Amino acid sequence: MAADKSDILQGTLDLMVLKTLDAMGPLHGYGIARRIEQISEEALQINQGTIYASLVRLTHKRWISGDWGTSDNNRKAKFYSITKSGRKQLNTEEQNWERISTVIGRVLRLADRG
Amino acid sequence: MFAWITTLASRTRTWLSPRGVDQDFATELDSHLDMLTDENVRRGMPPEEARRAARIKLGGVTQLKETNRELRGLPFIETFFHDARYALRMLRKNPGFTAVAVLTLALGIGANTAIFSVVYAVLLKPLPYANPNQLVSAFAANTQEGVPEDGTSYPNFEEWRAQNHVFSELATINFHQLTLTGRSEPSEVDTSVVTPEHFAVLDVKPLQGRVFFPEDGKRGAPPVVIVSENLWRGTLGADPKILGSSIILDKRPFTVVGIMPANFRSPFINSKPEVWIPLVQDPLFGSWMARRGGHWLAVFGRLKPGVSIAQAQAEMDAICDRLASEYPAENKGWTVRLVPMQKEIVGDVRTALLVLLGAVGLVLLIACANIANLLLTRATSRSKEIAVRVALGAGRSRIIRQLLSETAVLGLFGGIIGIALAYAGVRVLSSLMAEDLPRLNAIRVDNAVLAFALVLSAFASVAFGLVPALFASKSNIQANLREGGGRSGESGNRRRVRSVLAALEIALAMVLLVAAGLLLRSFSKLTAVSPGFNAEHLVKAEISLPQFQYSTPQQWIAFSDKLLARVQAQPGMKDTAVAIPLPIVNGKINLAFDIVGTPPASEGESRLADYASVSPEYLRVMRIPLLAGRFFTQQDIFSASRVSVISKTFAQRYFPNQDPIGKRLNFGFPPNGDADREIVGIVGDVRDVSLGEAPGPMMYVPNAQAPFWGANLVVKSTLSTDAVAAAIRQEVQKIDKDLPITEVGNMPDFIDASVSQQRFRTFLLGLFAAMALILAATGIFGVIAYSVACRTNEIGIRVALGASRSAILRMILRETLLLTLAGLLVGIPCALAASHLIGHLLFGVSANDPLTLATVAFILAAVATLAGYIPARRAMQVDPMLALRHE
Repeated sequence: MAADKSDILQGTLDLMVLKTLDAMGPLHGYGIARRIEQISEEALQINQGTIYASLVRLTHKRWISGDWGTSDNNRKAKFYSITKSGRKQLNTEEQNWERISTVIGRVLRLADRG
Repeated sequence: MFAWITTLASRTRTWLSPRGVDQDFATELDSHLDMLTDENVRRGMPPEEARRAARIKLGGVTQLKETNRELRGLPFIETFFHDARYALRMLRKNPGFTAVAVLTLALGIGANTAIFSVVYAVLLKPLPYANPNQLVSAFAANTQEGVPEDGTSYPNFEEWRAQNHVFSELATINFHQLTLTGRSEPSEVDTSVVTPEHFAVLDVKPLQGRVFFPEDGKRGAPPVVIVSENLWRGTLGADPKILGSSIILDKRPFTVVGIMPANFRSPFINSKPEVWIPLVQDPLFGSWMARRGGHWLAVFGRLKPGVSIAQAQAEMDAICDRLASEYPAENKGWTVRLVPMQKEIVGDVRTALLVLLGAVGLVLLIACANIANLLLTRATSRSKEIAVRVALGAGRSRIIRQLLSETAVLGLFGGIIGIALAYAGVRVLSSLMAEDLPRLNAIRVDNAVLAFALVLSAFASVAFGLVPALFASKSNIQANLREGGGRSGESGNRRRVRSVLAALEIALAMVLLVAAGLLLRSFSKLTAVSPGFNAEHLVKAEISLPQFQYSTPQQWIAFSDKLLARVQAQPGMKDTAVAIPLPIVNGKINLAFDIVGTPPASEGESRLADYASVSPEYLRVMRIPLLAGRFFTQQDIFSASRVSVISKTFAQRYFPNQDPIGKRLNFGFPPNGDADREIVGIVGDVRDVSLGEAPGPMMYVPNAQAPFWGANLVVKSTLSTDAVAAAIRQEVQKIDKDLPITEVGNMPDFIDASVSQQRFRTFLLGLFAAMALILAATGIFGVIAYSVACRTNEIGIRVALGASRSAILRMILRETLLLTLAGLLVGIPCALAASHLIGHLLFGVSANDPLTLATVAFILAAVATLAGYIPARRAMQVDPMLALRHE
């Protein structure tokens, strides 16, 4: 399947959301956005709203599910958690990612030397 | 892998679920915003500042909601429904525009669909037999004598069949009528005379009983017949014990062995055959089976699987070479030509039908151009609405989608009404159509035709919608918002496109009008042609004699003598004659002849002439002029010496610079062939095949010396057709109450019917040309009227500055004429090219006929001027004060 640039970016964000939920357990949209920013050591300043597009896509694919709950400071918020098939997907994606980044790394090193 | 299916299912679910989801998302975003604000406050921002920063961090809430909505549901369908609803509202708001556009489109689509249903049934639909592409016709052909397609004789057919390895089966067929008696009124039944393999070739099963066995085709076999379901249910009263019982054909009992289903028909025949009999049993053709000469059997076969028509042709060529050297007298120069059966059945109707389809397609194009023009006009006045939408954030593609939805709705309505029109159209077409149009019975609006109509309306809506939509979406927002109505603000580009469209309509209309004009002139020339005889007050009737009862030539002569004497004795019916065949009605019988005392025809020279056996009164009844010598008299009887009369062309071609009278010809129709006949007279030429075909050489013999087993009566009488027919009926019944009388009617009607295909296509093309003319005229009218409306201001200023009314009129008319001229300049070469395409449908008119071209150009210019004059008059009456205040 041919994927254009925005697809890759979307996919990257989706992967990060999945990973975050896998690592942190159920989180609301704000929590996920914050977490991604923190992990990337604020290098990735996302427009936090874009997280919601990712959440809708992942929900449609049944990789995550959302439930209403209450946040730490007593606000009503929707909490997302990773599903079983989401975990499987994450696994595959992680392997893919590693493979691709290894390959890309190799290619880049090759280019450096040449 | 199937993630997209889950996604689609989930999206559909959300799309179908109630609107609460929107609310949910809003709450979610709210809490997100709150959390962000809280954090900002924690970091020490003042609350107001914290809220603002949070908003920026989150992004535009409305936009997020919109994206969410699109991702969540089925935005494509949603927007489509939304657009369609909106389109309906817009169309309802402009009932005049909608009515004109839908009606124009419906006419275009309806006409196209109706014509396509004919084209589909006649040209495209596979033949109603199993594996129809294996079926081929085999013709005898003789290039030296210029005979492209002819039948063959039974002995030759037998050799073709026995020697080939390419056909799984080969069969022959011929048609005529037999008289069915003993069941009710004597009636003529359409009879297919076949070899037993006929049914095997077509691979059909009987409804009841069996098909013919090879033994049924052998000499001495008991006579058997297969009847059609229609005949069985009709005349035979659905007799349950019909199988094994017998019916009387031509006074001879035939055992019924099978019933064929009602929908089955043999190829090459339009009327429903009612009975099938083996060739060997046929009273007429059966007696010809032993002769190797002659070309009277139509041969067709089924190729073996995997055999191509070229392979089959090669093998048949070899067989024909052998036959030509074995039987040079009959077969020298004759080859076989294989033609796919479908192609053969369709024949020369193909061109005419494709021309009609092309013509009706042009009408639709003009209709589309017209609607596109209307839409462009409307888009101009809607430019403010569109500018507002663009300003509110609608993208270009969104605008185009919206406008195309409107045209799609238009197209849909046009299509639906068009299909309704097509149903009516097909009914009218079928009734108008010449009865001899092949496969006439297959014409109907079926699924394929409906699919065509739908594709056509979809295509049409894109065709007329795209250009206006592209233009509208490109408009300059700022200018349009400022201008408001956008009347005088029409861009030069758009005006140019509209003018080009109008000129194009003129050009297309020109093509159609020229084609229609040429066909019309051809048709009027064709019907004005003198057939060589006078058909006025001529009534004809056909009586055929059952061969088993009337089996000898003497009996035939006695019958026709008795009949003639009786009919001539009736008051007012003195001028009655007998003839076989009758010109135009029966076509021709073409026979070879020799000139006695000269060497036989050399190779490459054809000595063929059309043959007619007539009674002495024939010349007087038909008003054919006698040019030299004498015509037949009552003395030219069977026992007297053989005589003949030839036509003017015959004399000129075969006796140049000689007096043919007194010379002798050797020719004859079986069973009176091979006799020397002295030429006693020369008569005028007669167009015996059709009005359109130049008369060939003809030779006449007296009926008494060359009788047939039946007769055509021709009566010249001032009595009414009905009175003459009744008198004939009465006299025939007095001689033999079991004789059916058929094909009774007025000679002019028969001649009329002979040109029905030409009339049909001329009428249709004329109709389409008229539609094109009206559409083009409204197109011009629309462009000029709109141009005048846009220029009200300018015209007002001109008048205020002293321009006279007539100057204004001239200015507008000049614009009209320029458009027309541009259209004609493009149209004339196109029309010339098109008329060459229909060249061989023309009669007596050249494809470049300057008169037609000039007339059409003049008519178009006149109509266009008239269409432009109406708005021009409005321009003339513009009140300068009003116009100046207009802005």
